[in-house]
Amino acid sequence: RDELPRLLDDGHGVLEMPSGTGKTISLLSLIVAYQRAFPLEVTKLIYCSRTVPEIEKVVEELRKLMEFYSKQTRESNNFLALALSSRRNLCIHPEVSSLRFGKEVDGKCHSLTASYIRAQHHSNPSFPVCQFYEEFDAVGRQVPLPAGIYNLDDLKDFGRRKGWCPYYLILHANIVVYSYHYLLDPKIADLVSKELAKKSVVVFDEAHNIDNVCIDSMSVNITRRTLDHCQNNVDTLHNTIHKIKETDAAKLKEEYRRLVEGLKEANVARETDVYLSNPVLPDEILQEAVPGTIRTAEHFVGFLRRFLEYLKSRLRVQHVIQESAPQFLKDIYDKVCIDRKPLRFCAERLQSLLRTLEITDIADFSAATLISNFATLVSTYSQGFTIIIEPFEDRTPTIANPVLHFSCMDPSIAIKPVFQRFQSVIITSGTLSPLDIYPRILDFHPVTMASFTMTLARTCLCPLIVGRGNDQVALSSKFETREDFAVIRNYGNLLMEMSAIVPDGIVAFFTSYVYMENIVASWYEQGILENIQRNKLIFIETQDAAETSMALEKYQEACENGRGAILLSVARGKVSEGIDFVHHFGRAVIMFGVPYVYTQSRILKARLEYLRDQFQIRENDFLTFDAMRHAAQCVGRAIRGKTDYGLMIFADKRYARADKRGKLPRWIQEHITDGSLNLTVDEAVQLSKHFLRQMAQPFRQEDQLGLSLLTLEQLESEEMLQKIAQVAHQT
Amino acid sequence: MDEEPERAKRWEGGYERTWEVLKEDESGSLKATVEEILFQSKRRRVIESHEQVRLGMMRHLYVVIDCSRSMDDQDLKPNRLTSSLKLLEAFVGEYFDQNPISQVGIITTKNKRAEKLTDLSGNPKKHIDALKKAVDSVCAGEPSLYNSLNLAVQSLKHMPGHTSREILIILSSLTTCDPANIYELIKTLKSLKVRVSVIGLSAEVRVCTVLTRETGGLYHVILDESHFKELLMMHVKPPPASSSSECSLIRMGFPQHTVAAPTDQDAKPSFSMSHLDSSSGPGLSLGGYFCPQCHAKYTELPVECKVCGLTLVSAPHLARSFHHLFPLQAFTENSVEEHQGDRFCQACQGELKDKTIFTCTSCQSVFCMECDLFIHDSLHCCPCCIHSQIGP
Repeated sequence: RDELPRLLDDGHGVLEMPSGTGKTISLLSLIVAYQRAFPLEVTKLIYCSRTVPEIEKVVEELRKLMEFYSKQTRESNNFLALALSSRRNLCIHPEVSSLRFGKEVDGKCHSLTASYIRAQHHSNPSFPVCQFYEEFDAVGRQVPLPAGIYNLDDLKDFGRRKGWCPYYLILHANIVVYSYHYLLDPKIADLVSKELAKKSVVVFDEAHNIDNVCIDSMSVNITRRTLDHCQNNVDTLHNTIHKIKETDAAKLKEEYRRLVEGLKEANVARETDVYLSNPVLPDEILQEAVPGTIRTAEHFVGFLRRFLEYLKSRLRVQHVIQESAPQFLKDIYDKVCIDRKPLRFCAERLQSLLRTLEITDIADFSAATLISNFATLVSTYSQGFTIIIEPFEDRTPTIANPVLHFSCMDPSIAIKPVFQRFQSVIITSGTLSPLDIYPRILDFHPVTMASFTMTLARTCLCPLIVGRGNDQVALSSKFETREDFAVIRNYGNLLMEMSAIVPDGIVAFFTSYVYMENIVASWYEQGILENIQRNKLIFIETQDAAETSMALEKYQEACENGRGAILLSVARGKVSEGIDFVHHFGRAVIMFGVPYVYTQSRILKARLEYLRDQFQIRENDFLTFDAMRHAAQCVGRAIRGKTDYGLMIFADKRYARADKRGKLPRWIQEHITDGSLNLTVDEAVQLSKHFLRQMAQPFRQEDQLGLSLLTLEQLESEEMLQKIAQVAHQT
Repeated sequence: MDEEPERAKRWEGGYERTWEVLKEDESGSLKATVEEILFQSKRRRVIESHEQVRLGMMRHLYVVIDCSRSMDDQDLKPNRLTSSLKLLEAFVGEYFDQNPISQVGIITTKNKRAEKLTDLSGNPKKHIDALKKAVDSVCAGEPSLYNSLNLAVQSLKHMPGHTSREILIILSSLTTCDPANIYELIKTLKSLKVRVSVIGLSAEVRVCTVLTRETGGLYHVILDESHFKELLMMHVKPPPASSSSECSLIRMGFPQHTVAAPTDQDAKPSFSMSHLDSSSGPGLSLGGYFCPQCHAKYTELPVECKVCGLTLVSAPHLARSFHHLFPLQAFTENSVEEHQGDRFCQACQGELKDKTIFTCTSCQSVFCMECDLFIHDSLHCCPCCIHSQIGP
């Protein structure tokens, strides 16, 4: 793994490593070592992961690493590493932290810590403020945290002990671990990440979905309800302005003056390279002053109102409309005489107004913020975005539920500032194949692209492609055979046979909820379900999060006490993304069908078209790539380490085709032999039986020695060094 | 069935891929075959057993046989149940051969219930008869680990502290149907120092892993019939006694078998004490073993006297347990290249083909792998050493 040093010097990289093989620890240890060797080159490590448990895991790894360091060097090191999460997970204020939703917590926190509130508190001590923040502001700002590794709980503890707010403690850390929304989502990135130094190394872990995250962070969906909310917001704004005008006209004047001066300050900051630039706020805006039409508060409110009315009228459509951003702008100019320029300042202007009006509860104004963001985006980017207005959902064509999708099609817009700003960015995950597509869709030039495989003392994964049933009926989830009883029966047969020979837990993935419901219903009718239940209990993932987590809990219990269980879930669902099935929780994963996205969706169509035009990626290529990365993601859930083992069954004959197979990660691909292609259910059962018996033989750490685990002597031996050099040369 | 596990007919066998046995290793690929790892562990076992440890010589073992639906599976010929029962018969014989002062009981589990096939006793014949009868039983329903463990513990917990309490489970099913939380029971087992081992016939099940790990037993999954036999035979050897188990002097009686001469008019046929509670078996007999303490009569040994509680054994029994205490020294392992002299195994006279050879530490004779295992597992003495002692 000596790709990394090259990478750290300058430039970006894409690395694929199978999960559970120490991806995190090797990245961390290399970067930390680099940091220690060249403290001036790399000042900070930003490690982005996906979910809170994953973040915690990274911190634990880091803690181990640091312990090892201090044991080896016999000196305490002054590294400070922190995990960071939303206010909801970090708040220690007794009232605020009892709230349930992230938005509420954020709003409440803001209402206790905003500068004008605190100013009022000074004059009137009975006014409530957050004592933790006060304490932090008074003392903590200057005093850095003692060096060490802090996970979320440690931070909270520390905060409680000192009486400081943990959320604001993050400055000065050498290593920051947080969710990648903090870096990508412009709305949050602005708050948290903009002061990060340029000489940082950014690692995106579990980044196989990074393009979708980018796109989500830049897309806006507007429904009628949003507009109604916004209408209320605007009314409130209007009233507040009215009130303030009577009491405190000077304030509004002050704001006006500031706006005339423009956003020069922000511009200065960006030029001196202090902040991470916010993609919502393009450079040109900063150089200009806010246009006169929306400079005064009343005018701006009127402007917003007009814009809102226009959107409402647009939502009153009977058929689907798709148009580009310039078309939309032209239309809005023709209809309600709104120019492009003021639209672009909408987001900034609203922020400024909210600040001036001292509105405490930001959460209430989310609708208005959303609309103004939309206005800014639509007027800023003429390319890479599309507007789709749908009068109803596809599934319920009779119920009118108009939605305006303003969808971003180019993930590179959101991630561009990150690549530009930081000297090296590493994108890594267990499933990134094919590697070359990521640089293309994210529009950057990696120095290194590498896919590592596992070196194993035994072949602990067994991918099988089942293409036929026992009666030679081709198994496939493709549209034409989807309703075919023979296929459904054979799928049922496969699951039944597997449930009889696989111990403990089996996870089965379907391509969609609808498909799963159909299949399970017809299994029930054919009596297959009953037979399966004789072997194992069945749990089903639903769209309801609470129900699913309940099912998961019971599933794990059933696996634990020997009853055995099957979890039926959906690719792209919650289970397939964030939940690991270590050891007995997932001895086999069955993937029923190829998880293509719903291709009829207009947003997807628009995106495919864009990809074809801009990046020369054919639709089919992208669809297959997307399907295969999800399939790989699903089956990868089962293997989480070298001592783990699991079956991976791809039940669709299309997997056997070279174009599909070639897009699986290398560490899975190298175990697919020609003998495991296009098997019948029977053959698969025989193979799995054999595999499971082999894997159940006792396996100890000593057996791995010399193969996948090296002792210090072996590592230093000449022979091994040569071997390493050879391997490095190949990749 | 012969001693050798019968090879199945080609068409009855499972779906095999003979071409996959040929694995190329020259390319430096890292695929260590599972066989090699197995081989290593086999060897390790021999070495491990030669450390000086205290062994639990008096064993109380319950064998739990899974009789659930999955035992009908035909991957062992003719089916799992018949095959396992056959092997168990051999096991029981071997067990009493090596552990004469120990006892065995058999439990079967099916249809979510557990039944006692035989009680704990030291009579191999009784068990073998019961096992033979069990071949005809129908396999149905699911097994219940909890119930069978519970049943075994009910009798095991009354056993004295200086004896070992063991349970060996032959589990074919991948599921278990339990009436209560099995983890509570595992805790109880642990506190009672019951050692539970499991031999799985299909795959590794989590709850068994935990069960064996917590109670200090062994967990193995079979590869095929010969491997199954090997695994069973591993349990013949007494396990090391846990350091916490009590030490105590045991009173033992060594009764002699006396048969009254048929001419003696005073002799009257009498009942054996061990047959009092069971309706079957021979009733009146003339001869038998008489307890030296209370003169209760028994037809077989070893047994615990029902009247005075004295352990009755015969001297040869004890003598046979002796080799466990003073096992044969492990042979040193060398590679073939280092060995000078003729390349023949001293025991089987075959050529030394393996990469490693084994040398006896006292007489420097050379043996092949197979013979090394045979000497340590069955003979318990080096043939060359014996030979030189007897010879001139």
